[in-house]
Amino acid sequence: MALLDLIEEEIVKVPLAAASKSSAVKELIGVLKDAGRIGDEDKVYQAVMKREDLGSTGLERGIAVPHAKTDQVKTLTIAIGVSPGGVEFNAMDGGLSRLFFLILAPPDQSGPHIEALADIARITRSDAFCRLIGAAKSAKEVVEIFRED
Amino acid sequence: MDGPIKKLLVYIDGTEQSVTAAQYAICLSKLTGAELRALYVVNTRALNDLLKARIFIESEQAEYQRDLHADAERYLNHVKSLARGKGVVIETESRNGTPYVEIKSVVTEQEIDLLIIGELSHIRSRRDEFFNEAERAMRFSPCSVLIVKDEEKVWNMFDQLV
Repeated sequence: MALLDLIEEEIVKVPLAAASKSSAVKELIGVLKDAGRIGDEDKVYQAVMKREDLGSTGLERGIAVPHAKTDQVKTLTIAIGVSPGGVEFNAMDGGLSRLFFLILAPPDQSGPHIEALADIARITRSDAFCRLIGAAKSAKEVVEIFRED
Repeated sequence: MDGPIKKLLVYIDGTEQSVTAAQYAICLSKLTGAELRALYVVNTRALNDLLKARIFIESEQAEYQRDLHADAERYLNHVKSLARGKGVVIETESRNGTPYVEIKSVVTEQEIDLLIIGELSHIRSRRDEFFNEAERAMRFSPCSVLIVKDEEKVWNMFDQLV
């Protein structure tokens, strides 16, 4: 499944209001709850934070890719958030995280989960792409940037 | 058999499209007498990329690799069972690596005449063209490639195969 197949306006939040790691994760989970994509929000939050406890998924250049396996989704699920002010996410370069990709997969769908994460790893190598997404003012704009890339 | 197609390879990646491709391949093998093989590639390249990008930690990489091997076994067993049900002999193999590279290797090593793959995702951005493994396999395959479409038609054909 191509990453693009998963990206729709209703799972993109611009701007994120959160000012902390836990609230950013909760806000992204809330986006998925509102879109009817997940079951129990608390269980999803616990799964994501359990993974974060092993090591932050805050990468370099303002990207964060929190992810988890959870039985609270039926299929591979993604939420995207843009925080213009940035959030302290314990990123590896010590900087603030501005672009968030939350990826959730059912325990029996590791293949698509890995493909989606690998897609994100590839696209976030592009400084230009990250700058464009980071400067997006609306969910619609984010979706258009992905489709035009 | 004397026809131009003596050895078929179907690529299984865990998608519904690849299982449909397997059903088509079983029909083709039954009707032509061509030998049939199925290949699943555990994408260890992607796992390594994720570790390098620090999206994965080492224990996570190992866990996902185990999951993918289990997926490979499950899907190949499923395809074996489909073939057995139609009285077709199928050899299955799983490999580690970059899918299109391993597919190309198997095609060359096993002297495959026809590679059969599932329907490709719609190209919705330029990036998809560069990174879709099935599309890469199609482009890099040294033998002819058949892309199986129309799941319902294939299912009916498979169902009616005696």
